Amino acid sequence: MAETPKKQIQSITKPRQSPRQKPKLSQSSLNPPTPQTLAPTRRSSRLISSPEPPLPPPSLRSSRRTSLDFNLNTPPKSINHTPISAKNVEKSKRKGGNDSIDVSLSPVSPDRHEAKRRKKCSELNVGTAKTRVSRNMQFEGKKRNCAAPKRVYYKKVVYDGGEFSVGDDVYVKRREDASSDDEDPVVEECWVCLKAGRKVMIECDDCLGGFHLKCLKPPLKEVPEGDWICGFCQARKLGKKVELPIPPKGKKRARTLREKLLSSDLWAAHIESIWKEVDESYWFRGRWYMIPEETAAGRQPHNLKRELYRTNDFADIEMESVLRHCYVMNPKEFSKANNEGNDVFLCEYEYDIHWHSFKRLAEIDNGEEDDEESDNDEDWNSCKDLDSDTEEDLEYEEENRNNLFAGPSPAHELAANLRKGRIFGLQKIGMKKIPEHVRCQKQTELERAKAKLLLATLPKSLPCRNKEMEEITTFIKGAICDDQCLGRCLYIHGVPGTGKTMSVLAIMRNLRSEVDAGSIKPYCFVEINGLKLASPENIYRVIYEALSGHRVSWKKALHLLNERFSNGTKSGKEDNRPCILLIDELDLLVTRNQSVLYNILDWPTKPHSKLVIIGIANTMDLPEKLLPRISSRMGMQRLCFGPYNYQQLQEIISTRLKGIDAFEKQAIEFASRKVAAVSGDARRALEICRRAAELTDYRIKKLASLPNSVSAGKALVGMADVEAAIQEMFQAPHIQVMKSCSKLSKIFLAAMVHELYKTGMGETTFEKLAMTVSCLCTSNGEAFPGWDTLLKVGCKLGECRIILCEAGARHRLQKLQLNFPSDDVAFALKGNNELPWLAKYL
Amino acid sequence: HHSFPLQRKKLTQSMGRKNPAKEALILLRSRLCNPNFIFTSFSNSPDSNYSKLKFIISTSVIEACNNSVLLLGPRGCGKIAVLELVMADLLKEYPDMISVIKLNGLLHSDDNCALKEIARQLCVEHQLLFSKMASFDDNSQFMVAMLRECGLAHKTVIFVLDEFDLFTQGKQRLLYSLLDAMQSVTSQAVVVGVSCRLDADQLLEKRVRSRFSHRELLFLPPSKEELQRLLEHILLLPTDSSLPHDYVVEFNAKLLNIFAEERFKEIIDTLSNSDSTFNYLLRFLFSAVCYMDLESGFLSLENFKAALSSIQRQPKLECLKDCSILELYILVCMKRLEVKEQDSYNFNSVMKEYKSIHDSFQTSDYYAWNVCLRAFEHLLQRELVSFVDNRGHNQSIEFRPVKLLIFSQELYQGLKSHHSCPAILQKLIDREG
Repeated sequence: MAETPKKQIQSITKPRQSPRQKPKLSQSSLNPPTPQTLAPTRRSSRLISSPEPPLPPPSLRSSRRTSLDFNLNTPPKSINHTPISAKNVEKSKRKGGNDSIDVSLSPVSPDRHEAKRRKKCSELNVGTAKTRVSRNMQFEGKKRNCAAPKRVYYKKVVYDGGEFSVGDDVYVKRREDASSDDEDPVVEECWVCLKAGRKVMIECDDCLGGFHLKCLKPPLKEVPEGDWICGFCQARKLGKKVELPIPPKGKKRARTLREKLLSSDLWAAHIESIWKEVDESYWFRGRWYMIPEETAAGRQPHNLKRELYRTNDFADIEMESVLRHCYVMNPKEFSKANNEGNDVFLCEYEYDIHWHSFKRLAEIDNGEEDDEESDNDEDWNSCKDLDSDTEEDLEYEEENRNNLFAGPSPAHELAANLRKGRIFGLQKIGMKKIPEHVRCQKQTELERAKAKLLLATLPKSLPCRNKEMEEITTFIKGAICDDQCLGRCLYIHGVPGTGKTMSVLAIMRNLRSEVDAGSIKPYCFVEINGLKLASPENIYRVIYEALSGHRVSWKKALHLLNERFSNGTKSGKEDNRPCILLIDELDLLVTRNQSVLYNILDWPTKPHSKLVIIGIANTMDLPEKLLPRISSRMGMQRLCFGPYNYQQLQEIISTRLKGIDAFEKQAIEFASRKVAAVSGDARRALEICRRAAELTDYRIKKLASLPNSVSAGKALVGMADVEAAIQEMFQAPHIQVMKSCSKLSKIFLAAMVHELYKTGMGETTFEKLAMTVSCLCTSNGEAFPGWDTLLKVGCKLGECRIILCEAGARHRLQKLQLNFPSDDVAFALKGNNELPWLAKYL
Repeated sequence: HHSFPLQRKKLTQSMGRKNPAKEALILLRSRLCNPNFIFTSFSNSPDSNYSKLKFIISTSVIEACNNSVLLLGPRGCGKIAVLELVMADLLKEYPDMISVIKLNGLLHSDDNCALKEIARQLCVEHQLLFSKMASFDDNSQFMVAMLRECGLAHKTVIFVLDEFDLFTQGKQRLLYSLLDAMQSVTSQAVVVGVSCRLDADQLLEKRVRSRFSHRELLFLPPSKEELQRLLEHILLLPTDSSLPHDYVVEFNAKLLNIFAEERFKEIIDTLSNSDSTFNYLLRFLFSAVCYMDLESGFLSLENFKAALSSIQRQPKLECLKDCSILELYILVCMKRLEVKEQDSYNFNSVMKEYKSIHDSFQTSDYYAWNVCLRAFEHLLQRELVSFVDNRGHNQSIEFRPVKLLIFSQELYQGLKSHHSCPAILQKLIDREG
């Protein structure tokens, strides 16, 4: 499909080409397989109603926008429907909700009077904004100015009395003509007395209506805990007809912005960037939010009343059409927000308008570090993107869209597993409908405990490693602050699961927030895992790519890195920052001539390299195993992460389970003692506890499924479950297999043990063993099965590695050996009631 | 001529209605070949591996967590069958939420190719374009990105690693990057390792083992009671099928009679004495069902007997049966050499012995050297005789040390049952006992 979007739209906007009459639209037949549609333009068509785009000469505008203007004169239905492929039209036909949305979008003529009525008091906030942000912004602004006098980008803008910054969510006007939209009641009215007033109001959890406490019957003294449902909704649920109080004549019930948004008379958008055009008008790039009714799946039963979806649909909107702030929060914030007013919304999912699929929003970070983290990101981005600006972004966006249009022709589509194609491919992943169980479940204590014990959940704090973390912190800080930064190299070792990598990463997170606070100099951080490299030499490439963003062959990368670190050739000013290189699983980099390790470890010794290397590996004596010239460079500073002892493990588990009452205290202690005795591996301890919780959960759910059982009120993970989990984890299953294997296999094993006792030799041949077996059989009245059957039995045991044996083709000469201690075999076979005589030979 | 239309009617009846015995045979065979049918009988109890495995995987789907499970047990105990059953049920329960990636250690033990295969299957599952050209790094990054995206979309990825032990060769990059991604990314994935090696988890490197969640399900051969239950579950015909009711009732009654017979129990015992796995039993039943007489339309004890003898073979003895006289001579000669405690011998020494037998007994079967060599080669091919070691490939056959791969008792038995074994050979063997 080589047509531009503009062309498509124009062709569609021909009169009488309503999709209802012609479900096979020209464009839908052109690109059937991908549902890419022109959905973005559907949303962007909202721009129509917003004041005219400000770029002075209309001819300069992007084709997309002009086409949208062109759209203005067509009936709204076709605007809304045409971009959607035939399938989608069908969907919206089915849904009443969508239709009503469409109808409400009446043809609007660009009316700027109203816009002008708004007091223009825009003023940019360069001076008053907070220090760091403003510094960035000023800098950015300046840079922009000298580069091209077109657009000026801002972080924060005071417009029309409100302060808007990048990352805020705002209500956006949808149409201009409706007079009721003029006065936007900030204060909600009570549903009973229809007055606002300053008294305390309570919100119904069902219809979201507001009520004065005193207007209720009976009146409430204070806001009750938990969910509260108003009388109207209760009555409605009972099947009664409900008459809402009718407002007195002449006065219309004022709808709040929230109500308007949820009935799709308004829009909400997320501000991605703000800029000033040449003609002094302020614009922002917005990312639309959608209400559930507007999605292809419609409102689903588990959707909350205040739920919105973030879309991947962007539009440039003039600041004029912004009404005011709203607050779209992730579920965690939302559950905390109690008294934040009426403009709070929940957003947990992103909706892909091309694929009509949902995807959970990635959590930026969890817990306390949230704010710092996001700030941090911003800062980092702004530093990095100084040169690349949003316009490039636009181009990229455009390109992306073109890509989408090109969907059907495979020549343009990139393979998803290639680096370049990844963005294209991954968009596609998503749910057509959000499954109910992920939203509606009320988690039990056990389930929450399980979630907390997951290895993937990052704990808020890392207990028991304070000393080590301090040492690493001082090492890094010293290295960064030191101007010379010479020969800094730290080797961290310890058995798996002792928190080596996690500690370093936690420190790096802390340091990043310190960089933000301005207490230490900025640095760059590169993390590499030796086991994830295709070959040791690849590390050069990865480092170089992380530092510069370019992909070159490893030889070139080595050359460039050598130049940078050894010769001190700095290409940009960013190169001046100290670089911290974390190499996990360092032992994997050991090659035959150890050149990779030598090269890397040699860099920090060079003056002006400003390179700090932290190597992590399991073995304590890795430096000693290496060539002396390497160990002298690496072995100077070492840090050992010893295995955790049982108190530490107990603390780690209990901090994770804080506030969840799911485990008996002894159970945790038992698990930690057991793990501490074996390996001191925290992962193992967590997994044992999780497995124990799982076993308890399993037992309880099975009990609950039985009809005639009393459900045990509270489910605590006890010693027995932990014991079972430990058994599963540590006990080899061979005894059970030996107990349940066939009769001949048992005789075979007994003969092996007998042979071992007789000769004192671990190894025997099949010939000797067969003799022993036949002796055993004849003297105990068993039928001898035949040599070939016996051989097969032996091979089957060998397959399970109960015995070690050579290939069966060796037959008589096959060598056999028990893989487990003979005591285990004796233990497994002694109490056998099928073959009681076996005990004699064990 | 009144009878003609009547006959014809009968004929058309039998044409329209297939022989019930034939139908029953088809039904039984299709049951035996369908592992899902076999293992559904065990899926109800809470202690069964089915429900345990289903619980583990479904928690990953519902509670969005990562898990790794090992299914261990001897071959033929239904590890894969139960897994398939669980996955079929889960795919039905949670459509569009589970994607399954299947790898086999025999095919994908190389990390590079395994990652490529994972990327390929992920692309197929999600209708993405796949490129063969992608490098190891690309593929592993793609895998991690996909795990993340699937986690965000509430989709579970199940990795089935059959012959898990073979994935532990080499640096275990695949397992490491898979398990490491699972402990650091917001994904929901299950790694199911299937292996017949009981020490499979010991093969993991320390850092890989630390990341493995160590759920283990042990699959054991069925017990006596389970065997009995399984027999009835498989062989009894359903009363609510299209088969004629009378026939089904009679068939089942006869079958239950057979089950109760002592001789039948003996057959089952001999069967399970040597190998008590599901697989072996199913093979036995399949051949028993195939022996069913279509005329009478019922299974009989003889069918089971015939099946037992057809499944419990003695390949060495059967090999002996087909041997020529000269080959038997060579075998006996080798036997004699072994009795003389001549540890190492080759074709030339065998020929010497052969000549001495001929000299002392003046047998009629004396063949030329090259004929004997040919017979010797034949024995080598049938693995009744083998070289002692793999050394000396460049040596010619007659000089390489060889060994007899058959027990003397077997040889004795074989000579006795051979249809044209010369008396002299039997005498020679008898003398040595």
